[in-house]
Amino acid sequence: MSNILKSVKLDFSLVRPYVKTICFTMVLPAVFAAINRSLLTGISFAMCFIAMTSGYTFSITEKNDMERLYSILPVRKSELVVGRYAFSIIMGLLALIFSLITHPVILSSLGETVSTFDIACAAAVGIFLFALYTVFQLPGYYKFGSIKGRVFMYIPVAGFLATLFLITKIPADNSGWLITVLSSPVLVLLAAVLVVIMYVISILVSVKIVQGKEL
Amino acid sequence: MNNYLEVKNLSKSFDNFRLHDISFTLPKGYIMGLIGPNGSGKTTTIKLILNMLKRTEGEVKILGLDNIADEQAAKKSLGVVFDSNYFSDDWKVSQVEKSVSVFYENWNTQRFSELLDKFHISPAKKVKELSKGMQMKLMIACAFSYDAKLLILDEPTSGLDPVSRDELLHILSEYIEDGEHSVLFSTHITGDLERAADYITYISYGELFFSGGKDEFVDSFRIVKGGREELSDDLGKKAFGIRDFATGFEALIKTEDIKLFAHLNVEPATIDDIVVFTSKRGEQYE
Repeated sequence: MSNILKSVKLDFSLVRPYVKTICFTMVLPAVFAAINRSLLTGISFAMCFIAMTSGYTFSITEKNDMERLYSILPVRKSELVVGRYAFSIIMGLLALIFSLITHPVILSSLGETVSTFDIACAAAVGIFLFALYTVFQLPGYYKFGSIKGRVFMYIPVAGFLATLFLITKIPADNSGWLITVLSSPVLVLLAAVLVVIMYVISILVSVKIVQGKEL
Repeated sequence: MNNYLEVKNLSKSFDNFRLHDISFTLPKGYIMGLIGPNGSGKTTTIKLILNMLKRTEGEVKILGLDNIADEQAAKKSLGVVFDSNYFSDDWKVSQVEKSVSVFYENWNTQRFSELLDKFHISPAKKVKELSKGMQMKLMIACAFSYDAKLLILDEPTSGLDPVSRDELLHILSEYIEDGEHSVLFSTHITGDLERAADYITYISYGELFFSGGKDEFVDSFRIVKGGREELSDDLGKKAFGIRDFATGFEALIKTEDIKLFAHLNVEPATIDDIVVFTSKRGEQYE
């Protein structure tokens, strides 16, 4: 097992006692999607919630002074950082998959039509939003810790409110541009490349922060 | 390899404190006590050894490996116990093993179970339900389960009751019995050293005062006692510290200076005496 996978496993064991809470937070976006009759807002909400939980590992580490454990493990600091990003991305993907299954089912049961294209669009937006939130959150937590850096927990909330605002500004009969954007393979590819670049830069910044830190 | 830990000219500067030119060597199969008053630089030294702090100067070798260039390899054979638990409070003891064992190729689950039995730690208990002494033993059980060759403990006995302290020292003594393991532990409870340590490294105000055999350390100093009228300028110059009472005085001097004060009562010094007197830097006090 690579050191990065070991780090992911360690992070999972940190949040394990909070799995029920995290699962519960995934129910609320489903309710939200049902109330708004919108898959996109439901997914945006879900990604906002799961991004907010990315601070759990930092909070638990700080509460238990576990930086000392990390500092004695035979693992590079960069591997621990990449492991934490991987863990965060895995959590995001799990939340996205859960939401992409449950939300369409709920919406369909309420009489809404949800096409495969809608699901693909929601998935793309969800991934982009989650990436956008976490690439800023994680370096913030590394730099300031979970208590001083609590403000970074609210990045997803701000992002969600902004998304909500933008969605309401798009008239239902004038969403053609969004369809054009999301159905263009080039633009989707560009967005994917942007996500990768954002993560690479974010990881490099976090590694630099961690390597410069003294305990 | 005969030395499990080599520290050479280690220095670290902070705004208001400087650890300067610390050098010592811990041979294989022995226990070394790292002593000094609070704030003298013991924990800083340990953090520098563990690369938790960035050194200003110097070199640290753990089992012959550089503590920075070969950090990963060095830490595979290194066990560390801090003065407080570093596992998640919400973990069960069994979860501690699951979380930590993956990082060590030579982790021995059977050995871990045996150690838990020996230390009377239930695998079903949560870390937060364990007493401080039990948490200490859990950290030790982890280190022993991957056969850490060098065990570093930072103030392990502070906050422990006498029974737990005694148990811990017994565990450390057993650990080095085979001659293949070494222990470095910092403490300000010098009674622990009298019992367990083979070597002493004494840091005072960020400077190395002594590093060598415990017996040599204790034999290097004597306490002289006398009436107030016997307190001379010569003694003042030679003494590391003088305690002045209404009825007389006592002072710490180098054993080699005994002949100069043969007329006074001379007694062996304890580690406590040496630390207390030398920490006052020769100043007289009452």
